[in-house]
Amino acid sequence: MGRHEIRMRRQRTPARGSERYRNYNAVLKQHEQDMRLKKILRVFTYFLLIALITILLVIVMRWEKRQQAKPKTTSSLSSKVESFYRK
Amino acid sequence: MTDEEIRTEQEIIERAKKDPQAFGEIYERYFDRIFNFLYRQTDDEAVAGDLCSQTFVNALNHLNRYEFRGFPFSAWLYKIAGNEVNKFYRKNKGKKVFSIEEVKVRELMEQANDDWDEEMVNRVITYMNELPTEMVQVLELRFFEDKDFKEIAFILDITESGAKMRTYRALDRLRQQFNLRVKYDG
Repeated sequence: MGRHEIRMRRQRTPARGSERYRNYNAVLKQHEQDMRLKKILRVFTYFLLIALITILLVIVMRWEKRQQAKPKTTSSLSSKVESFYRK
Repeated sequence: MTDEEIRTEQEIIERAKKDPQAFGEIYERYFDRIFNFLYRQTDDEAVAGDLCSQTFVNALNHLNRYEFRGFPFSAWLYKIAGNEVNKFYRKNKGKKVFSIEEVKVRELMEQANDDWDEEMVNRVITYMNELPTEMVQVLELRFFEDKDFKEIAFILDITESGAKMRTYRALDRLRQQFNLRVKYDG
């Protein structure tokens, strides 16, 4: 047996007809809803992306600040050591 | 479909890309064909109705991505409809159904063999039940939807030679087992 089943039907078209399923307004409404959802999702993704970039920027700026501060402390430390030996 | 008809259809689609209301004309033109295609593959009116709506919604949602490749727009709709059917069977884990019209089967049998009878029809159906689903899909599009191999290849996402090969193999066995004169190219 295959993975399908072949059935024979007497009528050429469905018994109750396809007319009751024909509704372009419903299709249009669904499309508008989908587009709205897509737009919201896009705005949310942009927002998330901007937030992520901002966080990264803040982290980098803080790291840079710390890096700038570090040499000062080392130099001050070395001057302290120097002054200690001088004594 | 003539070149003029295809050109007019393209104009409607270009209009529909800016104004979805214009797509209504395409919907009215192809609704019955897509519905019947889906009904043939589900044997359930309500399911076919739902999948048909979803097919047109998807087509409308992705209309901007549509590019003319020398086929009528219906080929793209059939492709979307086929994907919807596959999605439906994957979700429901059921056996794929092909509900074919008795009248059409008789028509095809009359063309293929002068001495056909009910028993032969039943044997052909049993034979088709044993064929791989991909082969039945090609046969359905070729003989029930009257599509050419180029269009079948586009709809099923296979090569044209692949579509021809599947049809040829299925028909070759039909010819040998049932002495049918089914033409390879329809």
